[in-house]
Amino acid sequence: MSETSSSAHDPEPPIRLNLPPLSPSLFDAEPSELQQPNGSAVRNSSDPSSPTSSGYAAEQGSSTATIVTQVEEVLHNEIQEITIDDPQPLSHSSRLPGKRHSDEDDASISWRRRKKHFFVLSHSGKPIYSRYGDEHKLAGFSATLQAIISFVENGGDHVKLVRAGKHQVVFLVKGPIYLVCISCTEEPYESLRGQLELFHGQIIVILTKSVNRCFEKNPKFDMTPLLGGTDLVFSSLVHSFSWNPATFLHAYTCLPLAYATRQAASAILHDVTDSGVLFAILMCRHKVISLVGAQKASLHPDDMLLLANFVMSSESFRQDFRSIFSCLLATVQCFGISDDTYLMLLTTSSDAFYHLKDCRISIETVLVKSNVLSEAQRSLVDGGMRVEDLPPLPYSGSSHLGQHRLPSDSPERLREPDCGIGGAAGLWHFIYRSIYLDQYISSEFSSPINTPKQQKRLYRAYQKLFASMHDKGLGPHKTQFRRDENYGNYFFVLGSVEGIVLLCWVTQDFELYAAFDPLADKALAIKTCNRVCQWVKDVENEIFLLGVSPFSW
Amino acid sequence: MASRRRMLLKVIILGDSGVGKTSLMNQYVNRKFSNQYKATIGADFLTKEVQFEDRLFTLQIWDTAGQERFQSLGVAFYRGADCCVLVYDVNVMKSFDNLNHWREEFLIQASPSDPENFPFVVLGNKIDVDGGNSRVVSEKKAKAWCASKGNIPYFETSAKEGFNVEDAFQCIAKNALKNEPEEEMYLPDTIEVGGGGRQQRSTGCEC
Repeated sequence: MSETSSSAHDPEPPIRLNLPPLSPSLFDAEPSELQQPNGSAVRNSSDPSSPTSSGYAAEQGSSTATIVTQVEEVLHNEIQEITIDDPQPLSHSSRLPGKRHSDEDDASISWRRRKKHFFVLSHSGKPIYSRYGDEHKLAGFSATLQAIISFVENGGDHVKLVRAGKHQVVFLVKGPIYLVCISCTEEPYESLRGQLELFHGQIIVILTKSVNRCFEKNPKFDMTPLLGGTDLVFSSLVHSFSWNPATFLHAYTCLPLAYATRQAASAILHDVTDSGVLFAILMCRHKVISLVGAQKASLHPDDMLLLANFVMSSESFRQDFRSIFSCLLATVQCFGISDDTYLMLLTTSSDAFYHLKDCRISIETVLVKSNVLSEAQRSLVDGGMRVEDLPPLPYSGSSHLGQHRLPSDSPERLREPDCGIGGAAGLWHFIYRSIYLDQYISSEFSSPINTPKQQKRLYRAYQKLFASMHDKGLGPHKTQFRRDENYGNYFFVLGSVEGIVLLCWVTQDFELYAAFDPLADKALAIKTCNRVCQWVKDVENEIFLLGVSPFSW
Repeated sequence: MASRRRMLLKVIILGDSGVGKTSLMNQYVNRKFSNQYKATIGADFLTKEVQFEDRLFTLQIWDTAGQERFQSLGVAFYRGADCCVLVYDVNVMKSFDNLNHWREEFLIQASPSDPENFPFVVLGNKIDVDGGNSRVVSEKKAKAWCASKGNIPYFETSAKEGFNVEDAFQCIAKNALKNEPEEEMYLPDTIEVGGGGRQQRSTGCEC
């Protein structure tokens, strides 16, 4: 689609993007999708206090008045127990475009052994999407899923989760669109459900809520042709469920930049928001450089994730970076500015195409004269915070977790020299989420978390911890925790998960998730968390977008 | 592009218990027949790819339970059907008499936009039994009923011998396709902003 093509602003024939293969280099720290680690890798069977070790059933049922069925033996289409031997990891270059294994169906052993399935079907039981296999060949399976959902609905109830051996079947009904995830990854129910929510959000980003009206008018409505060519968008989204913390943190992350540089970018964007543009978002890969919103408008971090995923997985955009296209069919315009950097302009008006184009030109003109783009490139190369660079904590009276303060001749000094692996006191990695800003910062991966498999394992461990922290039904009593009476803060130690000690610290302002060497001293680890928080505070001007809060809560 | 895409047709099979709905489906999809009777519990689903006039499409066949105690799927089951197949046993008068009930039940539950022209197909099954000697519903009688309901196509079949099964399903597919409405233009919404319900969600940080 060329920039001047008038069809791009014409809402009538749905704009379909022809989306060829995803370039794996798009994402930071992206493990190959084919390198699914063995399911056992994320199981924490060694940890009886794990938040997922007991069912969610009772809690869910009582709090929401919907049922959760626990079925030990499987459904109509039984899913076999898994002894995984996923295909050999392929190199990036041999990665196939779009959906893989489209020859499979529910009779294939290989299909049944897949660790995580995603299905989308219509309320009449017609298949819309399956992560693996051919949708049409899975029509019977799709009908079975619909029958299960409908059967429960007929009883005035809703099915949310079915457990079948190691498998969880998670259902999400969104009007006429049914979404189902079947997984043996042992991710918490809440995480899987959140992933289905994002999946649905991605459909709406592409097709808008008009799909609901189409189903109302015609239950036979087939939306698959409207999704033609978007396989990559969905496979990229599913992939991000195992590498992008934004998918469970519900927060966005910024590209580290000097405060002045980000201010300059914001000022440039700000000029267009007075002219009917709701949001102007300047992004570099999946990280935000700056975003400016009109007053009283709100944009959820999840929506930013979905928009960015859509742009990033659209090869037409990648190949010809100066091309433009619309998603949300004409209300969002994306413009490539330079390699990796793109601008998204959101408006409520569907015929603002030319206006947006003018906005883009004026923004681009100023941007290229500024140092923003070159600074962004440099930041990409340099990376963000590294645990090795964690500065020592100067003594401060406001230390948050003071109970375990160590004498100056503590073993810390003895330990410091052997921290060639990771950072101080065996710190391997951390994620800091600012609740007020809806932003997070994740440290760069470094040794020993340096393979995609280990990164995914760590990611899943964080996700599990996050879910347990935010699940009121389960409550923190499942984990070892201590309440700091002086500050009203919660501090959690989630024992060793597959050789990683995780710590989580939640206050009203932030959440800190940190991963440590399993031999790390607990007291030291706690102290290190303090240092991390101080460090984040010290550099918050560079790692967060401050001042403007586009989110109205 | 639209004409090239594969279509999926939802076909629902209805009829009294034991008239051979599952057997017909099995004969059609798997070319197999078993004399043993196993009641369908709830529903069973099979798919078959069919080529018709240069177009490839998939039949998603919903085989229902004839026994009333299993009929609990309701509206959702019938929703979005492209064709409804009514089956009776030519050797059992009651199963023929009940066709009316099945047809009406379908029209009520599925409430298709144009009930007069919704595609039904009637199958008189088990014509092989006892060499036709135990037959109680004549072809003439069945055809008269079909004619009175808006010329529903009628086939006499034997699931056991595979007689007429293929032809019947070809007709089912053809009729289901005919009923497909013209594709409407897809008009997208614009985004909602401001006071939407989304903003409250997910922060969950009261701890």
